[in-house]
Order: sequence, then C-alpha cells, then structure tokens
Amino acid sequence: MAKPRAFDVRQQTGFTLVALSCFVMLYLPIILLVIYSFNAGTSIAIWEGFSWQWYAAAWENEKVQEATVLSLIIASSASLVATSVAVMAALATTRTGKFRGSGLVFAMINQPLMIPEIVTAVALLLFFAMIKVATGYTGIWYLIIAHSAFCIPFAYMPVRARLQSMDLNLEQAAADLYGRPWQVFRRVTLPQLWPGVLAGAMLSFVISLDDVVITEFVKSAGQDTLPTYMLGQLRRAITPEVNAISTVLLAISVALVVAFYLLSKSKEK
Amino acid sequence: MIEITGLSKTFGAGPSAFTALENINVTIKENEFFTLLGPSGCGKTTLLRSIAGFVNPTSGSLTVNGEDMLSKPPYARPVNTVFQNYALFPHMTVAENIGFGLEMLGRPKSEIKSVVADMLDLVQMAPMADRMTSQISGGQQQRVALARALAPKPKVLLLDEPLSALDFKLRKDMQIELKRLQSETGITFVFVTHDQEEALTMSDRIAVMKSGRILQIGGPKDIYDHPAERFVADFIGDTNFVSANLLSEDNGKAQVRLPSGATVEARSPEGGAHSGAVTIAVRPEHAMLSEPGALIDGRLKNIVYFGTDTHYHVESEGQPTFVIRRQNQPDAVEHHSVGDSVGISFNPGIAQVLRD
Repeated sequence: MAKPRAFDVRQQTGFTLVALSCFVMLYLPIILLVIYSFNAGTSIAIWEGFSWQWYAAAWENEKVQEATVLSLIIASSASLVATSVAVMAALATTRTGKFRGSGLVFAMINQPLMIPEIVTAVALLLFFAMIKVATGYTGIWYLIIAHSAFCIPFAYMPVRARLQSMDLNLEQAAADLYGRPWQVFRRVTLPQLWPGVLAGAMLSFVISLDDVVITEFVKSAGQDTLPTYMLGQLRRAITPEVNAISTVLLAISVALVVAFYLLSKSKEK
Repeated sequence: MIEITGLSKTFGAGPSAFTALENINVTIKENEFFTLLGPSGCGKTTLLRSIAGFVNPTSGSLTVNGEDMLSKPPYARPVNTVFQNYALFPHMTVAENIGFGLEMLGRPKSEIKSVVADMLDLVQMAPMADRMTSQISGGQQQRVALARALAPKPKVLLLDEPLSALDFKLRKDMQIELKRLQSETGITFVFVTHDQEEALTMSDRIAVMKSGRILQIGGPKDIYDHPAERFVADFIGDTNFVSANLLSEDNGKAQVRLPSGATVEARSPEGGAHSGAVTIAVRPEHAMLSEPGALIDGRLKNIVYFGTDTHYHVESEGQPTFVIRRQNQPDAVEHHSVGDSVGISFNPGIAQVLRD
C-alpha cells in the first residue's frame, strides 16, 4: 500500500492537462519534423506519401557532404581540446587547497554559460577579423578555437563532479605506494575519472555540432557547418532535405546520450 | 628507527587556528609494534599522516633511520600505509593492487609476480588473485590492503585504525594475524587505534594521546598498572580514583595518607608529583574486600555478578563509589551481603599517584 502523502502534486486540478501539454509542446514539433523528412513531395507541410528520397538527396548533395565533414572535424577537435582543458581545470580547482579567488576562477571557467552567446559571437568576429587582416589566414582554426572555448564549461561540469565524488584516499594510497604525481594521475585518477571525461567529451561534441550563432559569425566565406548550411537553405525554397538532415543529427545526439547512459550504468556495477 | 622531535602541527591561522599536534617527542624502535592510542580528535591520525607525508608539520623534525622525512614527498618515503577504509583501487584486480607499489618502483615483471604470489600466500588470498576488489568481503579487502602495503617491503608500516570496519569476531582474528605478520616480516608497525583493548593486546609499546599531546609512553603493562595521569588511567580499563595526601616521595615510592588516616605506600608518577592533595588510582582487580578498619571503610552498596567475576560497589564518605572486582571460583561461597560494613584494602606499592 502506498504511503499517504500530505501533498501529492498528481492530485492537483489540471495536473494531467499541464503535463500533457508540456510534452506535446516539447515533442510534437520534433515528431512532425521526423515524419515530414520521409515526405515524397517537396513540401514540408503537405504529406504526399512515404519516401527516402530526401535522405538520398542530402547524401548526394556535395554541399551537405562538405558541411558534414567540416561539422565533424570541428566537433571532434573542439571536444578533444575542450575536454583536455576541462580535465586540467577541474584538477586545478578540486585537487588544490582552497585558494584566494577560487570562486572567481570557477566563474571564469564557466563564463561561456553566462555571457549571451551573441555577445561572444560579435566579440570573436571582431577579434578574429583583426587576426585575419594581420595574418591572412582564413582556415577552420578560428572555428575550432571558438568552439573549444564555449564547450569548456560543458566538459568541465561532469569532470569536476566526478573528481569531487572520487575517494581522495585512492590518490594518497597511490602516492604512498611510490607513485609520482604523473603516475598517480595516469594509473589511478584518470581510470576513475574516465566516465566523467567521456560524458564531457560527448556533451561538448553535441554542443559543438549544434552551434549556429557563433559559427555563423566566425566562419570565413565558403565555410559551412551543417547548422549554418541549413540556416542558409531556409532563405531559399525549403524542402524536406532540411528535415532529413535534422533527423540524422537528432539520431546522432540520441545515440550518444544513450551510449553514455549505458556506459555509466555498466561502470556503476 | 623513527625519531620524532618537537613535532607540532597547527591547522589554520589566527583565532580559528587549531593545534592538532603539540611538541611530539617519540622514538620508535626497529621491529617494534608501536601503538598511538587516544580518543577521536587527539591527533593520532595527524601524527600517522605526518609520518606518511600527507600532513606537513608546522615545526619539528622527523627522521627514519637518520634520514630526514619532512623534506620528502610521500612517494619518496620508505613507509607504506594501510588506510582506514583500505583505499583499494577499484579498477584493478587483487593481484594488480598488491603489485602496484613494486610497479611504481619500476621492478621487473618477474619479481613483481613472485612477490605478489608470496604476499597472496602470506595473507591467504591466493585463490582470489584475479577478483576485482569489489567482489571480495570486508575482511578480505583488509588482507589485500595489508598485502599491498607490505609488498614493497617498507621499513615502516603505518596502520590507520585498520580493524575498525570489521565485526567483532573478525577483528579478534585479525589482531592475532597482524601480530603474526609483524613478527614474520620484521617490519616496524605504527598502529593507530581508539580501542584500548586492541592496543593492550597487540602492542610492544603504547603512546597515549590527548588533545595533540602524548601523555604517556610505555609497555601495555606499564600503562595499565602505572598510569601517570588521570586521563590515561580513565581511558584504559576501569579505575577507582581516591583522594589522598602525599606525605613524602623518594625514588619512585610515595607515602600517602588516605582520608581514613591510614598511610600506604604508593608509586609516584614519572617526573614526580607535588606533595599535598593528590589523587591515587587503584584498579578494581587490585583491591580486596576485607573487614572494617582497613585502608578505606565503607558500606557495601551493590553486588553485581558478571559470570567470570563479581563486582562489589563500596560507598564511603567523601569518595566516589569504589569498585572491587573479584574473580569467581567454582566453589566460592558469597559471605557478603548488601548493606554490610566492609573495608577496602590493597597491597603496598599497588596504588598509583597521578600527576594531576
């Protein structure tokens, strides 16, 4: 028998209605997007039968191919850089004693979460423009650096959480057993930290893959990631090709999240 | 072997500063089972962690075999620790845990393998070598932690309340086991505990600590029979405290006058005591029940039967209740009853004059 509760939110008037409408608002648009990606016609609003043609179209579209490659390169590089920096930052903020200004450092690491993205985007646009003028370099490193920077807090959070919940005694035991600091990190801290590192990397990857605002401002002429390519398409006649690309991105994100969930489950056992 | 001189540790600064260790002086000998005993917060673990290198003392010196330790990081000290919660590496097998220290020292694989095998035998864990540490019981984890700390053959093994997480029966077994390992390996053990019985049964010498200071160092029998301070007498075993007057003191022997007017020879504490009002300590099993007109007279308030022994509670004027413990004999007849006027006596040299 369930325990009687003083307050059960489920028994409040309108609970079901509110809950249902929230879920509808959240998921109905996504479900429609996925459904219309299989539309046989050229409209994104009128159903004309089932077809894979827009997936095929996207697959064969050279622009989409280039944008996909660029997106993957940037997301992988950014997640690698951001996670490495985040691990170092997390070690510095959890494995040293409390120092003067440690709260400020924490805030500064998480700066990208607090400053409006559009401000960062404009600032980067101006800053990189100066460098472009000075050096003439217009490659993808601007995007990798910008993406790495805003991915850091997303990688930092899970790594820091993992470090904080770790048993400090393990590292002391390793040091006691003649492990030098680097050996302790490699043999004891890092293996324990791995789920956090993986979570940070996956989160960074997804965040980078998804970014529009900063990418749109920072990218040089002719460069397009998947999101900026899709944004560009919206200005022309919009076809279910955009739906197809979105569905694939959605599938990748869901797969990553599920993979991470399963991974962390099996680690706990 | 381990020389600690004038070691102090203060945490924090200003008005919130906390002195965890205050002028610790102690010499621990080669191949000794040395115990740091005291209540929680007395500084025993801080002292142990200072030897291991996890705490940097504020002042003083600490050497092992004449070599300064304080300038060295933990990984460069020839000491290993058995942690209270064992701190086994959860991502490694039992064998990998035990071999970790040797691996860090860069020993060849063949040597690591043979030492690990020896250690597994020593702690009787050979069948579990390839288990993960989460798949073995608490007592087994304890053995692995011991083997891991012993494998690199340290000069000193530090043990931080290693038995506190085990149940009673297992704890008794491990006490004997630890003592066996210590004599077999010939390694100096520094053992931290708050359990006086554990300290008495296992140690060669005990340092009793309170509020960051060492109150008394001595063998289990010295500490038990001749506590120097009230705290030591009270913390270890049961004791009767009797107020008395110190008449004279000579070469460790003191003459004290009890409130009844009787005088008796007692032992004076190390460093002597001031004459005048003092407290003397008498262990319950060192006192005897006798007829009135003895050293202390009183009235029998209670007789408590414990199976192995019987406790007699005697009330006398101006003194706390005095407890006498008498071992029971199979054919003994109880000829005292509650309410009787009785006397308390003890042999000369049994009572201990306390320093405070």
